[in-house]
Amino acid sequence: MGTLTRAVGQAHARLDGPDKVRGAARYSVEYPVENVAYAWPVPSTVVKGRITRVDTRAALAEPGVLAVLSYENAPRLTPAGDPELFVLQEPAVAYRGQIVALAVAGSLEAAREAAGLVRLEYDTWPHDTVLTENHPGLYQPSHVNPSLPTDTEIGNFDAGYAAAPVRVDATYRTPAEHNNPMEPHASTVQWQGDRLVVHDANQGPGQVQAGLATLFGLPPERVRVITEHVGGGFGCKTMRCCVVLAALAARHVDRPVRLALTRQQMFGVVGYRTPTIQRIRLGADPTGRLTASCHDAISQSSMLKEFAEQTAVYGRPLYAAPHRRTTHRLARLDVPSPAWMRAPGQCPGSFAVESAMDELAVTCGVDPVELRIRNEPATDPEEGTPYSSRNLVACLREGAHRFGWADRDRTPAVRRAGRCLLGTGVAGSIYPARSLVSSASAYAGPDGAFLVQINAVDIGTGARTALWQIAADELGVPPDRVMIRVGDTGLPEASLAGGSTGTASWGWAVAKVCREIRVQIDDVHGGSVPAGGVHAQVDTTADIQAQQTFSRYAFGAQFAEVRVDVDTGEVRVDRLLGVFAAGRIVNALTARSQLIGGMTMGMSMALLEEGLWDPRSGDWANHDLATYHVAGCADIEQIEAYWLDEDDPHLNPAGVKGIGEIGIVGTAAAITNAVYHATGVRVRDLPVRLDRLLGHRA
Amino acid sequence: MEFLQPSTWDDAMAAKAAQPEAVPIAGGTDVMVELNFDRRRPPALLDLTRVAELTQWGTDGPLLRVGAGVTSRRLIAELGGRLPGLAMASRTVGSPQIRNRGTVGGNLGSASPAGDAHPPLLASDALVELASVRGVRRVPVAEFFTGPKRSVLAPDELVAAFLVAPAGGPQQFAKVGTRNAMVIAVCSFALALHPAQRRVGTGIGSAAPTPRRATAAEDFLAAALPWDTRGRLPDSTAREFGALVAAAAAPIDDVRGTAAYRRHALSVLAGRTLRWAWEALCD
Ligand SMILES: Cc1cc2nc3c(=O)[nH]c(=O)nc-3n(C[C@H](O)[C@H](O)[C@H](O)COP(=O)(O)OP(=O)(O)OC[C@H]3O[C@@H](n4cnc5c(N)ncnc54)[C@H](O)[C@@H]3O)c2cc1C
Repeated sequence: MGTLTRAVGQAHARLDGPDKVRGAARYSVEYPVENVAYAWPVPSTVVKGRITRVDTRAALAEPGVLAVLSYENAPRLTPAGDPELFVLQEPAVAYRGQIVALAVAGSLEAAREAAGLVRLEYDTWPHDTVLTENHPGLYQPSHVNPSLPTDTEIGNFDAGYAAAPVRVDATYRTPAEHNNPMEPHASTVQWQGDRLVVHDANQGPGQVQAGLATLFGLPPERVRVITEHVGGGFGCKTMRCCVVLAALAARHVDRPVRLALTRQQMFGVVGYRTPTIQRIRLGADPTGRLTASCHDAISQSSMLKEFAEQTAVYGRPLYAAPHRRTTHRLARLDVPSPAWMRAPGQCPGSFAVESAMDELAVTCGVDPVELRIRNEPATDPEEGTPYSSRNLVACLREGAHRFGWADRDRTPAVRRAGRCLLGTGVAGSIYPARSLVSSASAYAGPDGAFLVQINAVDIGTGARTALWQIAADELGVPPDRVMIRVGDTGLPEASLAGGSTGTASWGWAVAKVCREIRVQIDDVHGGSVPAGGVHAQVDTTADIQAQQTFSRYAFGAQFAEVRVDVDTGEVRVDRLLGVFAAGRIVNALTARSQLIGGMTMGMSMALLEEGLWDPRSGDWANHDLATYHVAGCADIEQIEAYWLDEDDPHLNPAGVKGIGEIGIVGTAAAITNAVYHATGVRVRDLPVRLDRLLGHRA
Repeated sequence: MEFLQPSTWDDAMAAKAAQPEAVPIAGGTDVMVELNFDRRRPPALLDLTRVAELTQWGTDGPLLRVGAGVTSRRLIAELGGRLPGLAMASRTVGSPQIRNRGTVGGNLGSASPAGDAHPPLLASDALVELASVRGVRRVPVAEFFTGPKRSVLAPDELVAAFLVAPAGGPQQFAKVGTRNAMVIAVCSFALALHPAQRRVGTGIGSAAPTPRRATAAEDFLAAALPWDTRGRLPDSTAREFGALVAAAAAPIDDVRGTAAYRRHALSVLAGRTLRWAWEALCD
């Protein structure tokens, strides 16, 4: 076995790649189902109101239309925690775009036509949809996502800040942003007697199974959710109303039903990143050593539910300062419910904190890389716990070296190439490294083949391939002898794809079950697999409970080089470079894709993405990709992602920290810091707008 | 919805005359978006892609005559040398897929203030050839647009072609946008120098209800340029030209930029394209 090349660390192309590029991979609405009907949602056209009349006559008169569901006739549901899933049950309307009816027909076209013919009348009330820093409804939620303290205070911030010789006090704003995965939310649902069989695009088949079971009053084992391929999620494919609507329709018309949201409907109902207003105050000595830091974050949620984005948690474990405070305030507005979007909280939080650090570096006349190094804590400054590993400084140094940072002149607005001003910027980056409980099974056949099964889900990240590599190494066999199955609630239960926990959590269960198989083969069966094969199933509850207390985080350093046209204010990013310390990198190819994907999304956030809200109509003014701009390949000249060899023994058997989100953390600040360096204009309000860079001239 | 598929130009005109409410479809890159978004529901679509005549270009006396069905990609590849301004503009359209399908006839048919073909066509005094069973007329492109997404095209008419003289001097096009591809212009500007006639042509995009010329700027520049000496372009001339171009615009504040920004950016683009064009002329 000594000659076997380890699979972990190799740049394996993803296992599902060939099927995807050939169009052979089936997505959730592509499974052939006989006698399938199609559903088309009807969104509310009022913001805050109550349906007083549902007139379905014209819709039902359309040929091919089977039914129109609304709160009046839809099958009854049992609430399942998330009010966004309790659809078509009540006449109340909480926001514009909320689904209030559903047309079902034998063809997609007839369903869509019928949806347009449903007439609804409403009583309406004045609405309140705009977040401001002095909104009268701001309150302190009991905790912030996922279950973190709302406010924290160590030392005495007010006194520390008052005494600080150098101070930065600035307010940063980020707009609403929309996840926009390529594939919309999509479901094919079949009732087979009292069993529910669902093909659904989501980030957690187990979560969808549990949700549907509660909503429809079924034992979970009678709900099967199959999620073989998913065209991206970025957080918005945790369980959403789409699959519930399809299941309601299928029950009502007693036929299988397909439902895929349109891009425009997604803007209304699948969640978005809340806008934030963030005030940062930093107190420091003249050399830039922080003595006090405070992060006050404001965000919004809907009237339906409290979603308290964890914006100010970003800095809690990051930079040293004896006096520190973080607070979160929330306003409940007549708006769609915000939800998870890649690096929730951390991503907008990093924009504010890493911008303020740059402002402090400017104020103190200290190099911004050096400033961050000077504020390196020995232990977690809020928890007091040791880090399982902390390589922020190493990332900054390695990045500075690769980027060519050393000779940087700090003076803003002095580098000129033709009609452009040039600038460079840096930001730190941190993201929690968590592992969640999962289980997995494995089977060794007498023919030397292995089958590993886990209800993990590959939302396009390459998770399936990474798990397969981990399994091969633990089994000590070449990967081509291993088969892996994921994305089916018939397989051993596993955590959902979120919070960059997938490979850490699932990889733990996979590694454990493969070791168990190895032990059985080697120790019980004397090294060969018996005729009946060997089977094992494990879960990681005890392992995760037994974890020692550490602060576990991935770290990174982001560098950006920008070019700003002095006359038009156009910003172009010539170069992005990120260095990350994220434990072991399982697959060099898919990891790089995750990291540069995150960085590109961060650039998109810096320069383009903005959900524009129209307070009069109470709706997004832009809700398609022609008006909500997302960066494309042509927008980045050169993008590089590197990682340090990090061997952290306190994580999980695979030694991984997760890489799905850290790439987007800090990127926007690196870019706006570079814009400052180029132009002398500090952008505190995203996205960067051409006209604002020109100041008085436009 | 009826789908009409004439295979000859005469049949196409006959079909349009018989059913004026039929919506022509060429590359479909605008029409399909409108259908998908349910912004319009025409009783019939008139597919022009089988009409070979529309995809051809050639000469008509001193002018080039370019069929309405010529795509952006072909404008760049086949006519880039003779119509450099239009080719530059075409290079900025959408993405390769859009440039492979989208046609100049479709761009004119949509008559969007942001249509990228329009400023260079304005700057080079193009004529739009409109045809129906009633006959053919040629309209100066400056008179073609009547409002946002509106034109003089009569209900029974089709765009057959545009006619334009091959460039007799340097041409330029510049566009401001927030990203590098797939971006609607925040504003755009085209310039054509006609040294033989000592004339200047301009076209403004995305900064008024219709694409338009900046005639006062053209007159000023025609008189101010040192045509004889081909000497250095005075900065004050470029600045004044930019100011006159900005003054000719009637922009609005919208999602893509403020009116003030658009005026400013137009003056920048005008000065910039002028310097490039003048340098090219003097080289
Ligand atoms: C993703 C995307 C990006 C885009 N980017 C740009 C861009 O950067 N710049 C830009 O200018 N445009 C852009 N467009 C718009 C569009 O591609 C252009 O306007 C294109 O030139 C339209 O040509 P078409 O052949 O596809 O027209 P169609 O969609 O087929 O037709 C457009 C209109 O013209 C009418 N029409 C077509 N042919 C004729 C004819 N012969 N006679 C009379 N009427 C006719 C149609 O009825 C319709 O009203 C973009 C579109 C998309 C979808």
